[in-house]
Amino acid sequence: MIDEPDPPSAPADLAAEYALGVLTGDELRRARDLAQTDAQFRADVARWSGRLAPILDEAEPVAAPSGAWANIQNRIGPTEDGGNVVQLRRSVNQWRGIAAAMSALAACLAIVLVTGIPRTTTRAPVPVVQPAAAPLVAMLGDRQQQMKVVASWDPAARQLVLAVAGDMKSDPAHSHELWVIPADGKPRSLGTMGSGKQMHMRLADTLAKLLQQGATIAISVEPPGGSPTGAPTGPVVASGSLSEA
Amino acid sequence: MKRAMDGGSELHAGSGSGELVALLEAVSRGDRQAFASLYDRTSAKLYGICLRLLGSEAEAQDVLQDVYVIVWEKAGRFDPSKAGAITWLAVLARNRAIDRLRRRSVGTDAIEAAAHIEDESPSAFDIVEQADNAARLGRCLEQLEERSRSMIRSAFLDGASYPELAEREGVPLGTMKSWIRRGLQRLRGCLER
Repeated sequence: MIDEPDPPSAPADLAAEYALGVLTGDELRRARDLAQTDAQFRADVARWSGRLAPILDEAEPVAAPSGAWANIQNRIGPTEDGGNVVQLRRSVNQWRGIAAAMSALAACLAIVLVTGIPRTTTRAPVPVVQPAAAPLVAMLGDRQQQMKVVASWDPAARQLVLAVAGDMKSDPAHSHELWVIPADGKPRSLGTMGSGKQMHMRLADTLAKLLQQGATIAISVEPPGGSPTGAPTGPVVASGSLSEA
Repeated sequence: MKRAMDGGSELHAGSGSGELVALLEAVSRGDRQAFASLYDRTSAKLYGICLRLLGSEAEAQDVLQDVYVIVWEKAGRFDPSKAGAITWLAVLARNRAIDRLRRRSVGTDAIEAAAHIEDESPSAFDIVEQADNAARLGRCLEQLEERSRSMIRSAFLDGASYPELAEREGVPLGTMKSWIRRGLQRLRGCLER
């Protein structure tokens, strides 16, 4: 390609070209130098950046890769006061307490179910036989590791109890849907969640057998009434895996 | 340019812009919770910009991470009297992505690339917006010839450089430069009117 003589840009043009991003080689270096040393040039670039910025409206938003946030957090390092880690530990402890209390509650319930309401005059209740499968608990946190929901699963009763902490940010235009993701990686819906702070659900056998240690419990945002497709369609707002309480 | 001309342009005013300003201010004081909220609200937009410019998911993620680390460290450089929060973030992301593109074409090695991150141009954080920016730009771009308009758009949004634009259009480099310069001069004339 035959090039025409190429007079260097006047500084006002160079600022516009630099903001536009078309410069390469020596011209790019010259612009970078001016940006370091020349306040007027810098002000011109700033104005051009602002002028051209609306063009970026045309770039469609794309969900950032899931690992990006963890990498960013690693790079900005811990805070002076221990920040997230302390906060996380605190909420885990808090939730362990609640989970333990709920297991105890479930145990009492089991006693009642097995023996009927104990009468004061009768003999002490028979110790409950440990069920074959141990109860499992999942602590569902969001990306910031803030605990949102504790799910406890009693396999003997096929009962899942959910306790919601804080606000789940619900609005009438969306539902929260609960999912179990077993080892095969395919999410199965456990139904949508109401707005209450606590929820009990009895699961059918086919779903119940998916709630094994290590399975993930997740909550996604869906259209009212739940996902139209049978698979999660909206963002996951909280998730955690089941383990022994 | 249709979308940028709409009243509801994402980069301008609209709902939540005050919230983003407040979040950026909290981030400048080292508030991690605010930083996480800011990431939740803006990362899709910024990642979309990086991906559009770089075309590679891995590189776009790299640049996105750099951008948020920079935001964490330099949020204090944001001046709400000069530009909107999302504009500031979007231009920051876009400039980082352009830097990455230009380094790629030169084939600079990793060490030099790392050094460059430290050597951040002071202009990188200065963005001055006028009121009604999007509508104004849309109107003024409409007044340019189709050719200038599409090349300016392509340079800013897709990261095309002078040599790439010249090759794409099959014209000498000098011709391309004078087309774009003329376009930018006319644009400025219109925008300052």
